[in-house]
Amino acid sequence: MKILIIEDEQYLRESIQKYLEYQGYVCETAANFPAAKEKIDRYVYDCIVVDIGLPYGSGFDIVAALKNFGSAAGIIIISAKNTLDDKLKGLELGSDDYLVKPFHLSELNARINAILRRRKFEGSQWIQFNEIKLDPEGQRLTVNEKTVDLTEKEYQLLEYFIANKRRVLTKPAIAEHVWGDEYVQAGDYDFIYTHIKNLRKKLLDAGSGDYIKTVYGSGYRLTDN
Amino acid sequence: MVALLVVTGLYLFHQFSVQLNDRSDKELLADEAQWIDYLETGVENGTTFILRTGELSIFPVNEPLNDYPKIEDVTGKNTKTNNSTTYRQLSQVVSIAGIPYQIIIKKSQEQKAALVSGFTRVMLFVFAGLFLVSLVFNWIISRRLWAPFRESLRKIRSAELQHMQAVRFDSTNTAEFNELNSSLNAMTNKIYSDYISMKEFTENAAHEMQTPIAVVQSKLELLLQDANLDDAQVQSVVQAAAALNRLGKLNQGLLLLAKIDNDQYQTKEVISLSDITKKYLHLFDALIKDKQLTVTTNFTADFRTALHPFLADSLISNLLGNAIKYNYPGGTVNIVTTRDAYQISNSSLLPAIPQDKLFKRFTGAADNPGASNGLGLAIVKKILDSNDLLVQYRMTSGLHEFIISKKNL
Repeated sequence: MKILIIEDEQYLRESIQKYLEYQGYVCETAANFPAAKEKIDRYVYDCIVVDIGLPYGSGFDIVAALKNFGSAAGIIIISAKNTLDDKLKGLELGSDDYLVKPFHLSELNARINAILRRRKFEGSQWIQFNEIKLDPEGQRLTVNEKTVDLTEKEYQLLEYFIANKRRVLTKPAIAEHVWGDEYVQAGDYDFIYTHIKNLRKKLLDAGSGDYIKTVYGSGYRLTDN
Repeated sequence: MVALLVVTGLYLFHQFSVQLNDRSDKELLADEAQWIDYLETGVENGTTFILRTGELSIFPVNEPLNDYPKIEDVTGKNTKTNNSTTYRQLSQVVSIAGIPYQIIIKKSQEQKAALVSGFTRVMLFVFAGLFLVSLVFNWIISRRLWAPFRESLRKIRSAELQHMQAVRFDSTNTAEFNELNSSLNAMTNKIYSDYISMKEFTENAAHEMQTPIAVVQSKLELLLQDANLDDAQVQSVVQAAAALNRLGKLNQGLLLLAKIDNDQYQTKEVISLSDITKKYLHLFDALIKDKQLTVTTNFTADFRTALHPFLADSLISNLLGNAIKYNYPGGTVNIVTTRDAYQISNSSLLPAIPQDKLFKRFTGAADNPGASNGLGLAIVKKILDSNDLLVQYRMTSGLHEFIISKKNL
């Protein structure tokens, strides 16, 4: 899987690249509009992460250009602008998602995962981690081919864990992904513990390995070693 | 004016009274002459006579003759009405057929008294008339003259910071008002441009901050993946990330306030607050269950109002979020919507919020700074203010209650 990261802020670009490479993607980067234009003209990518405010041009034009020559690449816009107009414009031009800065790298990764899955396999691909299999279409979980009942939130949690497997996920990142940004207004992140405890119990009861580990003081991690 | 009228009245009265006196004096003299003529022809030599009527007395005296008659004002009793009245009286000692006679002729001055009262009445009437007329004229003139001034005053009173550019003070026919209005125009222009640049600064500053925050957040997230960190180091990173997260939220809050100020959320779309509340009750379900809160709702009548969907979300998530966040385990949240009001109340161990701090920025729960960015209620207030809605807060029997209602336009 090849991903192009178009972002003018050097350190953010490097962070994104590093995190996505951890997750097994091949990443290329572009720091400004002409460089990005040249890359999309020459090479084929599976997914393109593009900032709107670029030197010498707009990320919207990159999206338009990609759509213009019928690129099959998934497109995620990342922008500091949190306006409905920009989001709508991005989606109208043909981008698949719109992520507002600042964002969690794990969130960006999960969204890239989702887009790639939809693009490549029309959404029918199973998400697998050892004996755990998720069916994104039916939002169903099977462990060792046996169906396990999960709540909607538990499913989203597990999907997020698998997308960011072996990475530490902080409570704010988990809460924002599963329950949304506004959740923080209503309380702290302690309630996450209950949900993870339940999910873990269901997995163990179904005969799966104990993959979800508490990382002392920081969050949780799905890992098989 | 009054003095002038009094002086004029007195002068006129004096003139008239002099003329009247003059006339009655002439009459008195003519009467006397007639009487003397009559007596001289009709009376035989050597006989004396005495004539006494109310107004005329002629009787012989032993006094030297007067060359000229004496005319004066005297007071006496009116024989008919028994009132004391003034008389004009002529007295002279004349010789009639060689005998000195005292002649006294009186003329009643009642006419003059009537004249005085007549004058007073007329003067009062004129005075009252003039007074009224001058009042009316004053009123009309001041209305016409001060109309531009009042117009400017009205504009100043109704001026709002957001719409300052629309406030124009037109030129008038009065140089002084023109001067005033052009100064006011310059002032409103200055205020408005300052306001705009301040607003833009707020929005730009908040906006520009997002990227560095994103950089730091991504670096901390990567750092957290490092397996070589010890527990203390992980703690530091997590705490830094939490603080940064708060900074990000704070920044988003300020950005939202700036955007509402910049009228970026104008809409004619009518939304239902009950629907949005249901959505958030569903969203916050996990937290409500976690805290074992009892939520009672009464959505029998819907509260509908024109509000941008994004602001409606923000409004309800803030109010409902607070009702959950500041509640105690096992507490209650009550939501009632009617056609004209949206009411949300919750139990809490926290004391009532002082009214003067209620909707101010950064004055929220000071003992629990981590849970609040201090902007929630400021955002609520701003959203309501900018959409012609009112909010009231009160605390009754342990329940904090917010009531949203429509402004009577």
